[in-house]
Order: sequence, then C-alpha cells, then structure tokens
Amino acid sequence: MNFIRSCATVAALVVAVASTASAQQDARLTLIRDDATREVVRQQLGGALSRGVPVEPMMAKALEGVAKRASTKSIRAAMARLEENWHRAAKALAPNPTDDELGAGADALQQNVPESALRSLRKLAPGRSIALEIGVLTQLVARNVEPGQASKMVLELMARKATGTQLTALSSAVQEDVEAGLAPAMALDLRGRGIMSLLPPPSAVSTLNPRSTPRP
Amino acid sequence: MELERDETIERVAQTLAVLPPRDAQAVSRVMTAVHAHQAQRPSRLTLVMEWMRQPSFSVASAGALAAAALVLGFFSRGAFGNAGSDQSARSTLEGQPTGEFPIPAGVVLPASNSHEVRALPVSLVFDARNAKSVVVVGDFNGWDDSKTPMVRYGKDGPWTATVLAKPGRHVYAFLVDGTTLVADPRAPRTKDLDYGGDASVLMVTPP
Repeated sequence: MNFIRSCATVAALVVAVASTASAQQDARLTLIRDDATREVVRQQLGGALSRGVPVEPMMAKALEGVAKRASTKSIRAAMARLEENWHRAAKALAPNPTDDELGAGADALQQNVPESALRSLRKLAPGRSIALEIGVLTQLVARNVEPGQASKMVLELMARKATGTQLTALSSAVQEDVEAGLAPAMALDLRGRGIMSLLPPPSAVSTLNPRSTPRP
Repeated sequence: MELERDETIERVAQTLAVLPPRDAQAVSRVMTAVHAHQAQRPSRLTLVMEWMRQPSFSVASAGALAAAALVLGFFSRGAFGNAGSDQSARSTLEGQPTGEFPIPAGVVLPASNSHEVRALPVSLVFDARNAKSVVVVGDFNGWDDSKTPMVRYGKDGPWTATVLAKPGRHVYAFLVDGTTLVADPRAPRTKDLDYGGDASVLMVTPP
C-alpha cells in the first residue's frame, strides 16, 4: 500500500473530524479552573456542536458564567438555553442567517422577543444583516417596552428607511426616558414619532428605487 | 464530357457494399459477455481498495485528495455551524403559521453588498483609581478575561481600552483586580436573565 496515499487518506479523515474535536479541546477550557464545571462545559460544547451550534457563543456563555462566579448547574442551564434559543433563532431568521444575527436572535428570544417579530424583520430585510435592528428591539423589550409595540415600531422605522444611528438613538432615548420615570410605552411612542417625523412618508419610501438609497 | 467508368473499381465497390454474413452465435456471445461484465462491475469500496493498492503515485491525485480533504473539513464545519440549522429551519418553517407583524406593502429593504458586517473600534473608559488591574469582558471578546486588559491613562487617571465590536447590541462588564465584576456606570444596564445581576449594554452603530 502506498505510504503517501495512506497518509493523505488519514489526513482527510482527521480534517473531517477536527471541527468536532476542537470543541472539546478548546484552549479556553483551561480558563475554567473548577474541574467539574470544565467537564460539564466540555460536554455541553461537544453536544451543541454536533447539533449545529458553533463553539464561540457557547464558550462565551460558559466563560460569562465563570466570570460571574455562577454555579456549575447555572452554567449548564444557561448553555442549554442558549442552544435552544439558537435553534429557534435559526428557524425564525431562515434561510441564511449569519452567526451575528443568530447570536442577536438568541439574545432577543432570551429577553422574550417573539419569534414572529424576528420573522418579520427578516422578511422586511432578507438580503442584509439585521443584527442591529434585532439588538435595538431586544434592548427596548429589556427596558420593559411591550414586545408587540416594540416590534411594530422597529419594523415601521425600518420600512421607512430609518438609519442605524436613528434606531440606536431611539433605543438610547427610550432608555433615558424610562430611567427618568416615563412609562415605557409612552417613551417609545414619543421617541418613535420624533424619529418618524424626520423620515419620508411611507408612500414615498415604497416608490423609491432601493439601489439609489444606500443605507448610511 | 462523360467520365470513363473503371470496371475494376466498380467491382471492388460492389464487393465491399455487400456486408458479410452475420454470425448470430458470435453476436450472442459478445452480448452475453457485455452483460456479464456490467453485472460484475466492482463496488465503490472495491474501487477504493483497488486504488489504495496501486503502487503508482501522481502529484495530481495527491493534490486532488488534499483539496478534497480541505473541502470536507470546511463543509463539516459548515454542517456543524449554520448549514445544519438552516436546513432544519427550512423544513420546520414549511406550512407553519407565521404570525408575523404587519409590514407596509411593497417594502423590502435593499440588500447590502455583504451579509457580514465589520467589527468597529469602540473605546471604553472606567474610573477605578484604586484598582491594580481592570479587564473588559463581554460578548464581543467571548468573555475571555485574557483578551482586553485596560490601560491606565496617566498615573491616576481612568482605565481605557478599545474593543472591536460588530454593529448591534453587546453586553459587557469590567473585571477589577481579577475578582470583581463591575457594570459600566456610563452605560445603560440590562438584567442578566441567565446568571442574575446587571450587565452593561453597548449599542454599536454602523458608520
């Protein structure tokens, strides 16, 4: 048997399984000093990877727990929740979500943003990243804005070509208003109207040539 | 002018035009052999094993094998990454009620040049005069406390660091002296639903 052919065949097999093995041999596992936690994280990483969730967000979730001195049980539960939300986000943001979008989507679902809102965002902007828009929606919901109202506002602003800066400004303004004592629903309504007054009316937006209006 | 006809050529042509008698038994033997050969076609495993036994070696075949290994590796990563989830997403979404929020009719936002977006530099500042070391940890650096140490500005100034983060919402904290996690007093906060307590929120906007 030719030696070089044998080596090449073995190399092919090694490369094929390398991605799976890398999850269980990640050098960052050494950052977890507790043996029991490290073993749990190793198992969770391997299982999640085999079910289609990449290592990075799972490892980050584990290290976040370690940094916050969470128990092994809490870290295991957090990783399991992330994996579940990752899959739900993948369904909602189909067909070709990026890892950034999936991370943002999983984060949104964790904050009780409904999957239908993610589907609507994707439907409105199927050809570009919507990680920012998902993040704005998540932060609004995290500030106790009702998810339906927040989703409707973000979708309307997107449809009227609000910029990323305007969306982020909305999030910040609502945050400040709520901290100042305003009701979240009222804060969103007021700030949303303010931004919309700066945007072209819906009829004008729908007739614009998309290619002539690049997103700032 | 009429061309002369060569009798010899004509005879040769007539002889060659007549096909020789067909031997039906010979035809039968040939067809039987062809069918038998097709029936005994070696399996793929046999072909692979045969290929492995061949003593010859060519640069082209080695190159092809190496390329196949690389492709296999990348695809396996993809399969464990997005591809699998995409497939499950498609199959699960079929026929499912969407319950989507209303979108103005006729509005579909334009595609950008790339679905991926670049990470942008963001400067963070933290006042902790008595701290001996401060590290930024967050989802933008995988909560890895070895990646983004902060540097003190001047002798007793604030701690500063620049992180790279993609547009979107990020959660982070400062790790002081390797033991204490502190939320950024300059940033909005959110409740950490996984581990409890508060976390700082960083909203990164595309340029």
